[in-house]
Formats: sequence, C-alpha cells, structure tokens
Amino acid sequence: MSQNLVILCAAGMLVTAYLMVGQKALFVAIRLYGLQSILLGVVAVAMAFTDHRPHLLESAALTIGLKGVFIPWFLMRTIDRIGIHREIEPFVNTPSSLLICLGLTVVGYRVSTGLAAGGEGAAHHVIGVSLSMLLMGLFLMVTRRKAVTQILALLTIENAVFLVALGATSGMPLVVELGISFDVIVAVLVLGILVHRIVDRFESMDVSRLSKLKG
Amino acid sequence: MTVLVWTLFAPLVTALLGVLPAPRRIKEANLVGGLGVTLLLSIGTAGDFLGGSTPSAFGDALRVDGLSALVLVLSALVGLLSGAYSVGYLRRNDARGLVSPGRRREFDALVPLYVFAMLLVSVSNNLGILWIAVELTTLVSVFLVAFHNRDTSLEAAWKFLVLGSLGLAFALLGTVLLFASGRGVLGEGMSALHWTRLVALARELHPLTLKLGVVFAVVGYGTKAGLAPMHTWKPDAYREAPSPAGVLMAVGMLNGALYCLLRVHLIAKAALGPAFSGGLLLGLGLLSVAVATPFILIQWNLKRLLAYSSVEHVGIMALGLGLGAEAATFGALLHMTYHTLAKPLAFFSAGTLAQLHRSSDFDEIGPGTLGRAPVASALFVLAAVIMTGSPPFGLFFSEMTILKAGFAGPHTAAVAVFLACLVLLFCGFFYQVGRLVLGAQPAAPRPAPDPEQFDAGGAVTLAAGVLAVVSAFYLPRGLLDLVHAAVRVVEGGP
Repeated sequence: MSQNLVILCAAGMLVTAYLMVGQKALFVAIRLYGLQSILLGVVAVAMAFTDHRPHLLESAALTIGLKGVFIPWFLMRTIDRIGIHREIEPFVNTPSSLLICLGLTVVGYRVSTGLAAGGEGAAHHVIGVSLSMLLMGLFLMVTRRKAVTQILALLTIENAVFLVALGATSGMPLVVELGISFDVIVAVLVLGILVHRIVDRFESMDVSRLSKLKG
Repeated sequence: MTVLVWTLFAPLVTALLGVLPAPRRIKEANLVGGLGVTLLLSIGTAGDFLGGSTPSAFGDALRVDGLSALVLVLSALVGLLSGAYSVGYLRRNDARGLVSPGRRREFDALVPLYVFAMLLVSVSNNLGILWIAVELTTLVSVFLVAFHNRDTSLEAAWKFLVLGSLGLAFALLGTVLLFASGRGVLGEGMSALHWTRLVALARELHPLTLKLGVVFAVVGYGTKAGLAPMHTWKPDAYREAPSPAGVLMAVGMLNGALYCLLRVHLIAKAALGPAFSGGLLLGLGLLSVAVATPFILIQWNLKRLLAYSSVEHVGIMALGLGLGAEAATFGALLHMTYHTLAKPLAFFSAGTLAQLHRSSDFDEIGPGTLGRAPVASALFVLAAVIMTGSPPFGLFFSEMTILKAGFAGPHTAAVAVFLACLVLLFCGFFYQVGRLVLGAQPAAPRPAPDPEQFDAGGAVTLAAGVLAVVSAFYLPRGLLDLVHAAVRVVEGGP
C-alpha cells in the first residue's frame, strides 16, 4: 500500500516537472514547484512508515514547510513586486521541449537500473523518476530566459537530488540534511535579492540580456 | 580540540563584529586583527598536527590530517593578506565616494565569513559538512562579486550563482551517491558520511554507484575549482569582484575545491584503484591548461587574464594529482603552496593598476603603465615572471617536478601536450604584459590616471612581493613538513 503511494507520488513529481516544461505563466510554474515539494514530503512520510525510519518524518516536515510553502511564497512575492508574470518564448518551443523531455525520461530510467538500489521495487521507480527530473531541470535551465524560471529549474534539480537520496539511501543524516536545507533557503534568498537588483538595473528579468561579458 | 575550534571561531567573531557600526579605523583593526589571530590559531592547529596528534572535534566531524593542515594554513594566510589589502583598497574607493557605509559593513562581514567557510572546508572530515561549507563560500562570494553593483557585476554574479549552484547540486548528488554506494555497510547517523570511514570501508562499496557518484562529485567540485569546461564563471567573476575578494576566490576557493576533489579522488582510489578518478583529474587538468592558452593570447582585460591564469594553474595541479606518481603528487601540492604564496602579488598589483586607471580593460589602462605607476607596474611584471613559472622561482620547480614525474610515467603524450601549452602560455602572458606595461605613453586625450601613492594598499602589495620572492628560496621548515604530510595522505598513509 505504502509502496504504491511512494510510486504514485514520485510519478506525480515527474508530472509536475512535465507541466513546468509546458508552462509559460510564472505563477503556475511556482505553484507546480510547491506541489512537487509537497509530493516529495509525502514520499518521505510514506518511506518513514514502510521502512521504520522515524527521522525521515523530520526531514519531510522540513521539506513541506520550507520548499512546499515558504519558497513558493517568497518567489510569488518576488514576481508580484517586479510585476513580471509570463515567460517569453523559450529558445526551444513547447512541443519539441516535451518530446526532448520524454527522451530524457527514458535515459534517466535506463541509468537508474545500474545503481545499487535501483534494480527493483519502488526504489527503481523513485530513482528513475529523480534522474529524469534532474535531466529535465538541466534542460529547463538552458532553454529558458527568465531569471525566476532558472531558479525554479535549479530547485527542481535540487528536489531530484533529495529524491535520489530517499530512493537510494536511507536518507541523509539529519544534521547534514538540516545544513543542506538551510543552504538552499539562503541560496533562494540570495537569488531573490539578485533578481531584484537585476530588475532594478536592467528593467527586465530576461537573463539573455546579460551578455556583455565575453572572451 | 580547543585550538581547532577556536581557529574556526575567530573569523566568525570577526564577521559579527564587522556588522556593528564603528569608526573606520576600528573596523579596519578588527578585520586585520581578527584575520591575523585566525592565521596564528591555524598555525597552532597545524603545529599540533606536526607535534604528532590528530586534532579533531565534534565526534571526528572535523579532523585535521596532513592535507587539511596544509590547506588550512594556506587559506588562513590568504585571508589575512586579503584583509590587509582591503584596507588600502577600500580607502581609495572611499576617497572617490564609491563605497556606501552599508556596502562597507557588508564587506567587513563577508570577508571573514568567507575565511570561516574556507577553513571549515579544509578541516571537515564529513562529506555533508564539506558540501555545506563549499556552498557557504559560494553564497558569500556572490555578494562580493556583485559588490560594485554595475550592470556587469550583476551579470557576473548571476552567472556565478547559477553555475555555482548547479555545480553544487551535482556535488550534492555525488555525495548522495557515495553515501548510497555504502548502503548497509556504512550504517546510519552522522559518522556514516565521514571520509575516514568511507576510505576504510572502500572495498565494500558498490562499485557502479560509487563511480557515478565520483563523476558527479568531480564535475560539481570541479566547477568550483574552475576546471575547464566548467570554468566559464571565472573570468566574469574575477573581473567584477573587488581585488581583495578576487584573491580569496582565486586562491582560497581554488585550494578548497581542489581539496574536495582530492578527498573524492582518494575514496575512489581506495575502492577502484587510481586509474578511474585519476584519469578524470588528468583529463580535466589537461583540458584546463589547453583551454586557458588561446584565451590568454587574445585577452582584453587585466583581471580576466588573471582568471585564465588561474584556470591554467588549477589545471596544472589537477594534472599533477591525476598522474598518480608520488613525485607528481608532491609537485602538485608544492605547486598549490607556491601558487598561494605568489598569486596575491599578482592580484594586488593588478588591482592597484586597475584602480588608478578606474578600469581593468587593456584599452583603458593603455600601454606604458611603467611610466605612470612604476612601482605597481614593476611588481606586476615580477608577479608575471613568477606566475608563468620562470626560474628561479617556486612555480618553476613545482612544474618541473610534475613534468619529470609525468615523462617517467605512462602518460607521456598528455605531458608533452601539457609542456607545449606551458610554453605557449608563457609567451602569451608576456605578450600581454609587455603590451600593457611597456610602450609609449598614449597621446590621445583621455582622463588622466590618479598618481601612484605609497599607501596602505601599496605597502601590502610590497609585502606580498617580498613573500612571493622569499618563499621561492626559503620555505619555512614547518610548511615543507606539511606538504610532505599532505603527500603521505594522498599516497594512502595516515
């Protein structure tokens, strides 16, 4: 039962990643990220009960609180303040983006079978999904122009890494996980501050305009 | 244990005091004094290690072996030099009204915080804490890169942060996979991520997971070290960061990231033999040296020139470590030491030249700086002589050691390419230096540069020059012992 829940949530995370790729409204993309983080938290809770690892509950609470609620709220506030709500036409159009991501999912699943824990059961799906999400995050990062979308891509990659940690290990030691979460929060705040400064100076969040430095 | 903890505590206290409002002189004294105490304490920690003990704290999460002690002392030294130079640098900028009090406070807190993160990197025995500390250096340096708040600073800071965070996400994935490779062997809890434990149990780790983890970790930490092809943030960040912060990145972050690479390499070496991760380091190192060559030949900006020189040097170190022979390892670690001692001179003299001309572009600084700023130009030429590995200075000997060990080993073709690149780099660097320093004074009417004055920044630049020259002929006994101890760690000793 729990096993099925884990697989369902992992699949849900993959779906949110696909929707993010096919999405242009920034606030929808941010909500999708929040949903993705909450699903990650649910995976952690389910694993805490199936494998009797109570410390995963704490990390689940951390994930849902910080990444499911706080970061999306902070990003929403950022785009509200600067008043930019839509991603402009990406470098690769949406249908081809989705097709490429389909290919990336196949690659992610193929690689996951080589790992120690990736052979069978729920772990196979969890690792497969997380590696696919990692590749899709990278893809988003190189094809999108808005600063906030790039932050979301980075955060998706980070969620993918946490999902690998859940699937392939028994979860990182709690102290380490706390430290990592703290760093992620600070990173998002720093990114937010930088977006403000960029918008102030350039009156745009289009990072493809950041192209003076060459050679 | 106590000295080690105090070593980390000192820069943190300095950073906290740096935030408080205070007269300028007190802030300067706090910055330089705090970083000076940090250096003394880290020398004390290294002394404890040389005395035969293994300083450790927090249940072995922090632990000092030979490699840690070497990087610790070098990082603290660079921290002090950077802090001392920043006094004169900021006074000059202050005089032009370029630095607001808020920015000033930011700077006074960020520099010691950066030093803290560097020291934490060098002593952490836990792969999780290692990652956290490296991430901390990234976040701190973003603000240092964006310090001047120009269009280009924001561009550089954005690229740096996005690329750095991406690299660190890879490094985190690498760490997770290393941890996963020991599932069922390492156990749970904090100690499961201890480097010493991973090395001790290396033979029982799952090989394929480990390999994947090593690749991700090498790419991730390689991004921070600025190994090609992940080096693209470096020229932008170095150009925009104020010179005192630039040297922290060019030496501190470089040493720290290389230290992370070495720790990962040593786990892989114990588990899979030297060929796998050694080959990765060798390849990336050679690629870095090769990529730096054309960009130095066509360079148009003084600080970007230094950035590509830094790509070259990290490439040389990675190559030396990747060759795997004990002599090459010694050469690489010696190179790291000499590079740390020489690079501040290059950054400080170049920083002074750029500050006097209010730009770091060659076109703006123009030919013939020797006539306008003789001391800074002469010191920059000296730095160029040292940095390009000319005899009789230290980097010449370390490069020769690596070359000799390389030609004796199986990778002669790679080493031959490396040698050719070194020759080209030497010519390219001096072509650029000659273009800048020598030549007639420009006739075109343009804003006259500020006259060179002997101020606090000049004094520190001179001191860095003395350090770079003297260290070539006389390395203190203790420092050399640390290099040897670090080589023993890399060769699998205690």
